[in-house]
Amino acid sequence: MDITIYLQLMIGGILLGGIYALVAFGLSLIYGVVRILNFSHGTLVAIGGILASLAYTDLGLPPYVSGIALVLAFGLFGRLFFQFLLEPLSARTPKEAEIGVVLVTVGALLMMSDIAAFLAGPTPKNIPVRFDPIELGDLILSSTQVYALAGIILLTVALHFFLRYSWFGRAIRAVSQDAFGATISAIPGKTLHGNTFAFGCGLVAIAGVLYATMFPVDPYMGFSLTVKAFTIIILGGIGNLTGSLLAGILLGVVESLAAFLIGSEWAPGISIMLLLIILVVRPQGIFGGKPA
Amino acid sequence: MKLSRVALLGMAAAAIASISAGLASSASAAPRTDKCAGPITFGTTISATGRNSTLADRWVKMTEVFETEFNKDGGIFIKECNKSLPIKIISYDDQSTPATAVTLYERLATGDNVDFFLGPDWSAVSFAVSQVVERHKIPTVMSNASAANIWTRGLKYIFGVQSTAEGWSNNYFEMLKGLSPGPKTIFFVAQDNLLTKDVVAHFSKKAEAQGIKVIGSEVFSPELKDFTALALKLRSAKPDLIYIASYDAPALPLIQQMRQMKVKANGVHEIMTTGKLIRTLGKDAEGLSGELSWLPGTKGDYSELIERVLKASDVDVMDYLWTINRLNAYLVMMQAVERAGTLDRDKVRDVLDKGTFKSPVGPITFHEGGISDVPAFTTQVQDGKAVIVAPPSVAQKPFIYPSPSWQ
Repeated sequence: MDITIYLQLMIGGILLGGIYALVAFGLSLIYGVVRILNFSHGTLVAIGGILASLAYTDLGLPPYVSGIALVLAFGLFGRLFFQFLLEPLSARTPKEAEIGVVLVTVGALLMMSDIAAFLAGPTPKNIPVRFDPIELGDLILSSTQVYALAGIILLTVALHFFLRYSWFGRAIRAVSQDAFGATISAIPGKTLHGNTFAFGCGLVAIAGVLYATMFPVDPYMGFSLTVKAFTIIILGGIGNLTGSLLAGILLGVVESLAAFLIGSEWAPGISIMLLLIILVVRPQGIFGGKPA
Repeated sequence: MKLSRVALLGMAAAAIASISAGLASSASAAPRTDKCAGPITFGTTISATGRNSTLADRWVKMTEVFETEFNKDGGIFIKECNKSLPIKIISYDDQSTPATAVTLYERLATGDNVDFFLGPDWSAVSFAVSQVVERHKIPTVMSNASAANIWTRGLKYIFGVQSTAEGWSNNYFEMLKGLSPGPKTIFFVAQDNLLTKDVVAHFSKKAEAQGIKVIGSEVFSPELKDFTALALKLRSAKPDLIYIASYDAPALPLIQQMRQMKVKANGVHEIMTTGKLIRTLGKDAEGLSGELSWLPGTKGDYSELIERVLKASDVDVMDYLWTINRLNAYLVMMQAVERAGTLDRDKVRDVLDKGTFKSPVGPITFHEGGISDVPAFTTQVQDGKAVIVAPPSVAQKPFIYPSPSWQ
């Protein structure tokens, strides 16, 4: 078999994995700090992509402009969502709160999908910005994906420094490592939880915009993205952004190779198989135990 | 620990859903006692939301308009009552999901006590619903259900106005026979779905029988967005023809990435080349061939009523490719009830079993198993617009082969 085919598959997998990782960042932060498994996370990616697509095609707004607007809008949405739907559950018993979180986030997933389909239509949409592909002999690389991956790497580095050196970042890490200790150190736990949820939702908006520049997005694709994001945070370690990036790339490469070697029908199931294998063999994740 | 609790919660939800469906199915679907008190009720589900809603969401409005327009002409004359009764179509959203459709048909049978069923659409949904139909013995005219296994189980109460997967691309393959030089090789790509896999299974054999060598066959999940691997397979296989059996939405990223990866062929066929797909693909759609059931302007029985309904409900058949089958299901059922002259379900079933019914696409007769054989036209995108290229009797332009756009 031609080596360039495998090279093409590897590069395609890396580009795909980058976007998976970005989807997982927000979920990883939210779970690491607030301990909420947000099942509607992937649907927010889809809605971000749909809104950015409509902004581009109907209003002529370039993706970076709609991206900035969506980060703010999703951040505000996340804060309100947490304040009014999730935070009240903390008054319940831990078990009730846990079930309540699942019901609220799964309910949000279903409602947001249908509302988006009703308002924007169920047809897949993308942001049709096209740059000439990069051709290296038989290798054809999507310039859009290459730029997106470069952006994701920069964002990962920026987030890493932000979480390491800013007060907010240090507070997030403190709460994720020892919530009780953080509270007696005067870190306002409830406010921080709400702000982290908002921050995670803002990150999702960036993922949605970048995703829509590469692939079509539709209102019903959210759940499978959430599953991939779960897989990545298990592989990469909860709250570990570098681990998430590497895990995303690993997932992307494995999916690409599996689609070629086993068949395309198996590619979406790979994340589940990987998740199960890691949970059995190395429950702390491949890159786990080293939060940002 | 937390993950396992979540999993348990999911299992509990599934168990509750199963119990609910079981309870619903234990009720019986009683036929009406007062046979001449109108209206005659028909129950159906439409995929207004969910994955297949791109092909069906406007059918909700269309069904309401059909009911209004049909009743304007007096409804259905019932001989047994010696009067015409208006029709009432009760429709719910099945969310493109078989399990939801099953629950809703149970509700239509036992809660709404409808007289007859119409629809649903899509093979996977129809297959699941066929069990409900048989259990309650309610005659049903299904609209878009082509998978062979629906029609080969000896079920008595289901009838389908669309041909099986075996008739899907007949005109296309007939047209290929006449090409000189014709295609020598073909690569099949199917969405993981009952219908599309059936279509590929049948036409793979047909291609071989016509002397076109099948050099590849690949199935993909509708969830898949990154088609790099598949595009690479197609690029290295270098087939003369690429035949894609997929709904329009999952096919979109596939075709976009085939173009991006510079996949070449003499022709590319996608069985559901809708107006939406063509618009979204833009110039990438040029040369793509596909299938279409009917076009407005083609004269036939009830064509005026149908065009009125389509106009009032703002349905473009290029965007909603299988609309005519939906409407044909309505027309056939109305004719069957009128011919039976009664609302007795078994008598209406017998009429459906033996009769030939008028429709805009020509006469519809049900063969063994309950399926008909309504043909589809072959289309090709030429200068950005889909035109009919086969069969010759209705072709608007000649088929362009090899397609310069794909070479």
